[in-house]
This record gives sequence, structure tokens and C-alpha cells, in this order.
Amino acid sequence: MANSALNRKFDRIRALEEAGELKPLTGSRALRKMMNNRLAMVGVVIFLIILLSAIFAPLLTAHSPTKIDLRSMLQSPSGEHWFGTDKTGRDVFARVLYGGRVSILVGLGSALLAALIGVGVGCYTGYKGGILDVIALRVSEIFMSFPQIILVLLLVSIAGQSLANLIVIFVLTGWGGMYRLARARMLSLREEEYVQALRSFGISTPMICYKHILPNALGPIMVNITLTTAMFILAEAGLSFLGLGVPLNIPTWGNILNVAKDLRVLQNNWWMWLPVGMVISLFVLSVNFIGDGLRDSTDPSQQG
Amino acid sequence: MTGEVALSVKNLKTFFYTNNRCNKAVNGVSFDIKKGRTLCVVGESGCGKSVTASTIMQLLPSLSRIEEGSITYHAEAGDIRIDQLDRDGKEMRRIRGSEIAMIFQDPMTALNPVYTIGFQIGESLKYHTDLSAKARHAKVVDLLANMGIPEPERRAKEYPHKYSGGMRQRALIAMAMSCNPKILIADEPTTALDVTIQAQIFRLMDELKEQHGTAIMLITHDMGVVAELADEVIVMYMGNIVEAGTVDDILRRPKHPYTRALLDSIPVLGRGRNQDIKSIRGATPDPYQRPKGCQFSPRCDFATETCSAMPDEEYITETHRVSCHHYKDISQHD
Amino acid sequence: MLTFIIRRLLIVIPMLLVISFLVYLGLELTPGDAVSHMIDPEAASQMSPAQFEALREALGLNKSFLERYATWVYNMLHGDFGRSLSGGVPISEIFLDRLPATLELSFLALLFSTVIGCSLGTISALKRGTATDSSLTVIGMLGVSIPEFFFGLVSILIFALHLRWLPVGGRLMPGYETFLDRAPHIILPALVLSLMMTAGVMRYSRAAMLDSLSREFIRTARSKGLPEWRINFVHGFRVALTPVVVLIGFRLPTLIGGSVIIEEVFQWPGIGSEFIGAVRGADYPLVMMIALFSVFAVLMASLIVDVLTAIIDPRVRLS
Repeated sequence: MANSALNRKFDRIRALEEAGELKPLTGSRALRKMMNNRLAMVGVVIFLIILLSAIFAPLLTAHSPTKIDLRSMLQSPSGEHWFGTDKTGRDVFARVLYGGRVSILVGLGSALLAALIGVGVGCYTGYKGGILDVIALRVSEIFMSFPQIILVLLLVSIAGQSLANLIVIFVLTGWGGMYRLARARMLSLREEEYVQALRSFGISTPMICYKHILPNALGPIMVNITLTTAMFILAEAGLSFLGLGVPLNIPTWGNILNVAKDLRVLQNNWWMWLPVGMVISLFVLSVNFIGDGLRDSTDPSQQG
Repeated sequence: MTGEVALSVKNLKTFFYTNNRCNKAVNGVSFDIKKGRTLCVVGESGCGKSVTASTIMQLLPSLSRIEEGSITYHAEAGDIRIDQLDRDGKEMRRIRGSEIAMIFQDPMTALNPVYTIGFQIGESLKYHTDLSAKARHAKVVDLLANMGIPEPERRAKEYPHKYSGGMRQRALIAMAMSCNPKILIADEPTTALDVTIQAQIFRLMDELKEQHGTAIMLITHDMGVVAELADEVIVMYMGNIVEAGTVDDILRRPKHPYTRALLDSIPVLGRGRNQDIKSIRGATPDPYQRPKGCQFSPRCDFATETCSAMPDEEYITETHRVSCHHYKDISQHD
Repeated sequence: MLTFIIRRLLIVIPMLLVISFLVYLGLELTPGDAVSHMIDPEAASQMSPAQFEALREALGLNKSFLERYATWVYNMLHGDFGRSLSGGVPISEIFLDRLPATLELSFLALLFSTVIGCSLGTISALKRGTATDSSLTVIGMLGVSIPEFFFGLVSILIFALHLRWLPVGGRLMPGYETFLDRAPHIILPALVLSLMMTAGVMRYSRAAMLDSLSREFIRTARSKGLPEWRINFVHGFRVALTPVVVLIGFRLPTLIGGSVIIEEVFQWPGIGSEFIGAVRGADYPLVMMIALFSVFAVLMASLIVDVLTAIIDPRVRLS
């Protein structure tokens, strides 16, 4: 029978249940589900490994990410240079580690800032409604009718290239999604009975929306923050690859990949672009695993 | 032929295995559904009455199974053991819809929003009869007309969102009755409807029973409905039948403390505002931390130490059975 | 249905006006003389300052901002999008030249990703919890996590540089006449672009299908004794279709965004690589025009999606 595995599992659970060995589950249900999600846990581990090795880069490599060493140009990976060296003799491994700092800062930082603005505005205007709400909604609509990368490139062409500009631009293009999510949650939550009760107690509006309603919308917002982080890291890599992101003298994951535009490098010097591309992919993958796990664990409609 | 047993359930146990726990949702129930009679299943939410219905239809979710017992459908061609059929096998599918049909609690969500009512009723006919497309359409219009839906020809071409709640439930009943099933299972069919519509739906079900001799299993938590419609009643609590009998047995001579408490908790029209309405003390226990023995004992006023053993079912009369250690002592209080 | 479309248009048109106004504002504020956006640079170099001033007057550049904006919109509606700063080529000519390449690529990618993504997502949902489902989920995750240009680079390395099965990039080479000559060039970029999109469509259609299968009407359908395939496809999939169509519409911005970078990686001569060139060269009129055009495309796509959902879902038509 096809279901024999399932049947055996049922038998096992039943035996345990009848022996009284299954205890009522305690603690946070969301946390427990997260811990049980194998992919999410793999994600957390990869995320921490990459994050920590970027933060503690100086402990992991003695090389400088920016020091040009013309005696050791274009070396393939060795015990001295784990990921080899680039055209000007810079150590690629060191560049990947230090570049991770900037790339993660841009991705995570912009996502958090965008969330702060989007959720801050969305909660308040969503709860209050009125003219403020209409204005915020229209402004976000304008931002969101541009394809993200087009808007980013447009703003880059106006504002010029710099690290700070890039973060500001990412925040500008990213807050709309957060805002809409927070507003939508607000619109449904503000009709709940407990909110009516709070209002009748005369509690102030900011207090109601940020202290009492916001925590109930936190699940989807956290999921969105992870997804936005992933998106921004990919966007930074893409822009820098095009040479339009972070200025080339600052090492970032995208800037390291920039060299692969040259077909000779692509074909002959794989160590200059393949490892860093894989690091980006792994990091984004881990963030997506975490986001997916969060989504499953905060979604009450799913059980298992 | 009225009164003949259409389906018998013996010592049925259905357990759920969600969240790595085992919930004994239905823990050994036995009853018969008879032709031309209405069997009411009452009990508070979570007592296993809906699970019993789903088990008969084999509509259980995947993380659950029938552990023990039997469900026997007494078809004209001979008995069929439903519990031994493959959940989505050919035979089970043939029985569903044509022999045993079901209507659900919430008519708002039970219909597919993207198909017309006519299409959805016709689907049943398509799979259970040999009618041509034209004949099916005629039959659909006929069914809708029988359910008291005005302008059935036009209404059949409309989508569910244009129907009111009561009309949707009629459409669902039309769908269920389309192939003249021998048994109709109704799972709280009026909970989501207005009181006035409720009465209409019940009248409709009663007519069906009279005209076609359909056996009806009606799940409800409303004692008023029981008094109105039932021929026989079973009272369920925490996955067990605590008391079963004819409607007179249960309403006039209740023996089990739970049944009595249930009846005491209903206001009676005409007794004025000062009548004594008792609520049942305590709350339904956690299904994962069941009390030992009689499931009702922690909430029961008459519980003693003997109640920590599961009581057997005792027949008071041929039709009336109860599972309580103390039912004789309790009735002496009257 | 007609009133429905008109109502949607009434939302889209003001939106376009506001955005075009912002774009025009941007154009006015960016460096470069407005005259140079409008006339042939060779003619401009032969003019004296007096002639130049006369021209400004004639072109209406001395009029008020709002009047200039109105003229600009009027010109656009008549197919005059101004001139690019580099070489003074009319932007409309650039569009005509580059658009077919982009459309070709996007259309193929949209087609591939929709067909493959929907089927895989549906399979994944129907086989929920099995090994097939989890491996498809992980592959889908990989698809949204790998940077598309990196994926493009790897595919160039393998299929073009090592195996030499397909060309590295480009679209029209001298001497190319038939479609068959061109076909090898589109395979890699179209595959890369659509594989990246497939992952998203797959994940989304899986979720939509699971949602649809958990609804009450599925139980009703089952209680009617319908066969499993009919429950899954006629009832489940049909209802899941609405959100999937909406998603595909909303993926258009992603598609445009994705094609920008993919076009650059594969040297595909479309609007995307033109846009990047314009950003690099600070060719503001061209940057703004392409941006405005992309907004137009997105708004039109959402309009089409609205109409499509109304056709698919009877509930939307009324509200």
C-alpha cells in the first residue's frame, strides 16, 4: 500500500500518545515551527557564517582588499591567495570578505530603512485614513509604477554614483512595497473589536497604532524585510556589475563581479568572478530560506 | 420501507494526526441511519459530530484515518463496507453524490465562485447519470424550481455571488438531491443563515424526506431544531455518544447528565424572563489532555470515583441508550 | 465590460500625466540646454546667438513652464519624443530601432516562464509534501536567489565559450537574412531571462493552487463524487488562475528590469542596453523618455491584467 509510511507514522504517534509521552507544546508556536523548518535553519546557518566572516574579515585574512600588488597579478588560487588575485594583484578572497561588508550593509540597511519609513507611514495613515492616507497612497503608486531597476538607474543618473546615494535610492524605491503591506494590514486590523475598545478608553492614536496594532502585523512585515534584503543585494550586485552602482574603488560583491564583463577574464580567470558569484547566490538563498521559514511559521493557516 | 436501516456505523474510531499529536476525534460511536427518518446529531463544537459525517463520506483530511469499526452502506445490490473502500477510488466516488450526498455549513464558500450554479449542479448529473447535456440542463432547471428558486431558467446561468445565502443553500440542496441519494448528510446547514431562512430550508428537507424516503443525518447544536425535525437523536460529547434515542426519549426523558445540562441551558419561549437558565460549568477539555474514563465527569455534578472508568452503553429501552454510571440515581431526583 | 475598461482608463491617465510631469520637471532641472534636445545639432552649430535666441522664441522655450510642458505632451502625442543628446538622433527613431529586439526577447521569456512556471507550480502543489515538491521548492529558491547576470555569465562560459554551441551575444550580424540565422542568438538570453522568471511564477502558482485547493468548494466538489483530476483542474486550477494572471501582469516590471541587465550581458541591442548606455553617457532626454515609456508599459500591462481578470473571474466584473 502506498500509504504504509504514513500509516506507520500514525501508529507511532498513537502509541506515544497512549503512553502519555506527548506533552502539550509550550513556548512560541512560531519559533517552534521555525526551528523545525530544516531549510530555514540551513538558511540561518549560512547567513550567520557569511555575515560573521564579513564582519570579522581582518581575522580571517591578512591581505588588504584594496592593496595593489603588481608582482602577483592574475594568480590562480593558492595557499597564499585562496581565491587567487585579480588584474592588479589584489587578493580576491579579502575583497570578497570586505566587499560583503558593504554589500550586506547596503542590502540589509536599505531594507531596514525602507521598512522603517514604509511601516511608519503605512501604519499611521492606514489607521487614520483621510487626506494624508490618500496622498501617501498616490505617492507610493507613482514610485511603484516604475520598474524598480529603471527607477534606480534613473535616480543614479540624476544623483550620481556614491554609496550613500545608492542607499537613499534603494530606500526611495523600496519603501512603497512596505508601505502598502503595512497599510493593508492596518485597514483590516483597525476594525477589530479590541481597537474599538482601546479607542473608547481614550488611548492616543500613535499609541494604538504603533504599540497595539503594529505587533499584530509584524509577521508579514518581517517576511517582507527579508525578501527586500534579498532584492537589494541582487540589485546592488547588478548595478555594480554594470558599473553604475557603488563606485568601483570600494570593493563590493557587484564590483568584484564587474571584471567578468571581459570575455577573456570570463574564460581564463574563473577565480576572479565565480567564487564571488556563488557567495552572492548563497547569501541571497539563505535570506530567502529564512524569509520562507518566517512566512510559514507566522502563517496561522498552515499546520503540519 | 420507511424505517429500514440505510447505513449502520459500528464502533467507529477516527483519529487525527496533525502537529505530531494524536487526537481521538471520534472514539467508538455506533448508530443507524434509517430510511425516511431524520437522525439528529447534537453536541457542542469539537465533539466529533462533523468528523463523523466526513468519515461516512470519506472526506477526511490526509492526516487522519479510520482506526477501527465499520461503516456499512446497505445498498439495493448488497452491503458495501465504506470504511474499506479506497478514499478516492472509483467505488467511493460512485457512492458520493449519487447514493450519499452532503450539504455543508457555509453556503457562501461551498460553491465555486467562477462557475454558474447550473454548471455546478449539472456536474453531479454528468458523473452519475447518462443524461445528455440537454436533458441535464432541463433537470437542473427542474431541481432549482423544486427548491423554490424563482425564474430557475435564468438563475441557472448565474454565478454564486448573485445568490443570497438562503438561495445558495437551496442550490446546494438541489445539487445534493440531483441524483436522488438514499442518504443526505447535512452538516449544520443553517448556521450561517437568517432564522426565517432557516425554517424554509428545514421545511424543504422535511418535504424531501416525505417524498423520496431519503434518510437524513442532520448535524446541529440547536435543540430547537432537534425538537422540530428529528425522529431520532444522538448526543455526542468529546468523541463519544453519551445518549441516543428517539426524539421523545431524549427531549422528555433525558438520562445522561450532559443531555440534561444541555436541555437546561436553553431558554423556553413563554416562561418569561425570570426562567432559570443553567450553563454547563467548566469548559470542554483539551482533546490532547482528556480526562480518564467518562469524558464528562470533570464537569458533572454527579461524578464519583466510579466515573474514572469508562461507562458502558446501557439500553434503558429498545431505542434509548445511555452511557453513564449513575443514570438510575440521577433520574430518581425527578 | 466597456464601462469597466473606461473606468480603469480614468485611473491610468491622470497617473501618466503626473508621472510625465515629474519626468518633464526632471528634464528641465538636469544640465543641458533645452534647444539641443529639440533640433538637429549640426544646424545648431552653424547658428549665431541671435538666431539661437530667435529659435528659442520660435520653439516656445521662453514661454512659461506649464505652457512648455503642454507643448511637450502635445509633441509626444504626435510621435515627437525629442532628441538624444548623443548625435541628436530623434528618440522616436531609437525606439523604432531598438524596440523589436526587446519585444522579441521579453515575449519569448514571458511565454516560456508562464508555461513552465505554471505547470511546475501546479505539480508541486498537487504533490505537496513529497520529494518532488521539496526539490522543486529548492530549485525555485535557487532561481530567485542567483543574480541573473551571474547565471547569464555562467551560461555564456559553458555554452558559448567552452562548448561553442551558441554565439556569445549580439543579434543581427552582417549577412544575416533569415530567421534561422538569428535564432541561435536569442536562445541563450531568452532562456536565462525566462528561467529566472520561471522560478517566481512557479512559487506563486504553487501558493495560489494550494490556497485554492484548501477552499470549501473543493470539498463540495469531492462530495459530488467527481474524479480527482476534475477536482484539481476544473475546480482548483481554474480558481488559482486569477492570482496567477495578476502575478504575470505584475511581473512585467520585473521582466523589463531583468531584460535591462540581460541585454547588457548578452550585448542584445534592445531598449535595455540603450538605457544603460544613456545612463552612462548622462543622456538625460533619452533616460527620461525610456523611463517614461517603461511606466507607460507597466500601466498598460496592469490595465490589460485588470481586463483579463474580469474575464476570468465573474466576481470582479460587477464590483
